[in-house]
Amino acid sequence: MAEQAGDTGVHVRIRGKELSLAISEEHAVFLKSLTQRIGREPFTKRPWSELAFFLVSGGLAGIGLAFVGFTMFAGVVLAITFFGLALLALSLRSARGMGGWQRGLARSMLGEAVEDPEPFAGRRGFLGWLQSSLRDRVGWRAVAYFAVKVPWTILGVFVAVSLWWDAFACLTGPFFNRDGGGLQVWGLARGLIPGSQFWFQPAGFFHEIGVFILGAIFFFAAPWVTRGFVTVDRLLIRTLLGPDPMATRVRTLEYARTQTVDASAATLRRIERDLHDGTQAQLVALALRLGMAKEKLEGADTVDLDRVRQLVDEAHRGAKEAIAELRDIARGIHPPALDIGLEGALTTLAARSAVPTGITFDLRTRPTPAIEAIAYFCVAELLANVAQHAQASRASVSCAQQGTWLRLVVRDDGLGGAELSRVGSSSSGLSGLTDRVHAVDGRLHLVSPHGGPTVVTVDLPLTA
Amino acid sequence: MVGALRVAIAEDSAILRDGLVQLLVDRGFAITGAVGDPDALRSSVAQNPPDVAVIDIRMPPTFTDEGLRLALDLRARHEGLGILLFSQYIETRYAADLLADDAAGIGYLLKDRVADVSDFVEALERVAIGGTALDPEVVTQLLGATRRTDTLSALTPREREVLELMAEGRSNAAIAHAMVVSEGAVEKHVANIFAKLNLPVSEKDHRRVLAVLRFLES
Repeated sequence: MAEQAGDTGVHVRIRGKELSLAISEEHAVFLKSLTQRIGREPFTKRPWSELAFFLVSGGLAGIGLAFVGFTMFAGVVLAITFFGLALLALSLRSARGMGGWQRGLARSMLGEAVEDPEPFAGRRGFLGWLQSSLRDRVGWRAVAYFAVKVPWTILGVFVAVSLWWDAFACLTGPFFNRDGGGLQVWGLARGLIPGSQFWFQPAGFFHEIGVFILGAIFFFAAPWVTRGFVTVDRLLIRTLLGPDPMATRVRTLEYARTQTVDASAATLRRIERDLHDGTQAQLVALALRLGMAKEKLEGADTVDLDRVRQLVDEAHRGAKEAIAELRDIARGIHPPALDIGLEGALTTLAARSAVPTGITFDLRTRPTPAIEAIAYFCVAELLANVAQHAQASRASVSCAQQGTWLRLVVRDDGLGGAELSRVGSSSSGLSGLTDRVHAVDGRLHLVSPHGGPTVVTVDLPLTA
Repeated sequence: MVGALRVAIAEDSAILRDGLVQLLVDRGFAITGAVGDPDALRSSVAQNPPDVAVIDIRMPPTFTDEGLRLALDLRARHEGLGILLFSQYIETRYAADLLADDAAGIGYLLKDRVADVSDFVEALERVAIGGTALDPEVVTQLLGATRRTDTLSALTPREREVLELMAEGRSNAAIAHAMVVSEGAVEKHVANIFAKLNLPVSEKDHRRVLAVLRFLES
């Protein structure tokens, strides 16, 4: 660590070469806090709860492995008979249960909140239960956990626990061993103290000081060694006792599907509202006016032609408005522009946008229709947001291929400060887009610092 | 008729509201208020009571059944006020709620019916003077919904037709006119229906509707 000489530094001259060890202010502060940390650690709660966890959970794991190992062995031996399979199933079920205890211990003693795995779903009937139990991935993973955990605990007892032990043995030794008492050193210290039998024959003050210092070193090192073992254990608990990655994946997919279903239900509801409030009302009013006109024409001999003309005129206008509304609603369901391909559709969108918008398009593979539709709605919604909120003078859309992904980037030079929850109208806004994008395992990323620019990146798989 | 019938309108679609006002003014009704939400109609009715209120079912703020609740509320506060509910869809449950205690001065029509101006106006007048006007769709649904089809199957097709028209709230004369038969023939059918359905005969039209609906709902 030879750096430029600072205010505080050490200069050493060895065989004519000058070595300077400069400690800058920053390093000094760092070293100070490190020493403090190490010095205080054994007197905090954490190392002790970690040690307690290691011993308690290790003991339980030992019992668990013994039980599971025995029942499993017996089960395999007896597998020819029905009883063997039942025993095996029972063994797996109890492994699952004892895995739960381990999780509980980790939660209460380490604060390690590992989610519970999916609950056991036994099929009906004894045979169903048997089959579900034997196939229970959570149970098998718990068995794997015990199989790894027990050797790890044994190793930990020899390294970490013995370190604690030796620390106390060495720290207390100088005071108690005079009468031949004191604790026996049995771990690392045995190799480090010259002649481990040594302190049973006290050999002077300096030796005792040495032993005491060694104990102090052990005492301050032990928390970190224990933590190393516990950290690996945490990792094991998370990977083997937590939710099954496969089940989690299934759950994610289920969630995405629910969202898609919800999103389409919301879309249908919106369409119904548009039809009900707009087109249907228009058509009823239209029929009403035509009905009035018809009655006037059928009525008395003197037909009020002006009034009839006015009614027909209004009806005519109403019909045209209804047609326009229907067209807008239909476009919201499936954009006809997509029939000519995504490039044409996006170009039309960009050209129609209120803010001048440039577009670059580079796709070698044509995405599936579902992806094209999502890409189209994303760009439509994002450009509408730009026009409504951003106060931008220019915007750009880029659609490019990255491997098997389609990347859309919509950028504007407006005010920025957009947020996912706030942008857009409630139902069809940016959060609605996020749902649509997630439904096909895509990603939507928004960067919008205050003062702009706003950049929205959407990644979609080309096939979905 | 003593003077023009007075009508209040609650309909959130401006186009339709204007159309209705035009139509009713054209037919000589007096409009006491034409508003777009339930609260506005409440105050309008309180200030200037009409003979009949035309109420859209789906109105702000939630666009679900505001109109229905408004109708029940107005019925409770203003005795003798006719209510014509007006909707894009027919919900049997709404009809049941509305007719729960009394079918007098109650109408429930699809919005489409305004296209046949005369029928619509006729229905409105019937409701205004304490009669009943149910959309044929309501009747069909109620007839379809009933589980006692075994009893109904005892009716001849002709009698069933009479029952449906009766359920719409029409008088014997109107039924005779609609079916192009004599009033005497209709009376005979009605007597047969009551006999087959085991219902006591009554003078007033709306009691017949009520009786028929009660029977159908059971």
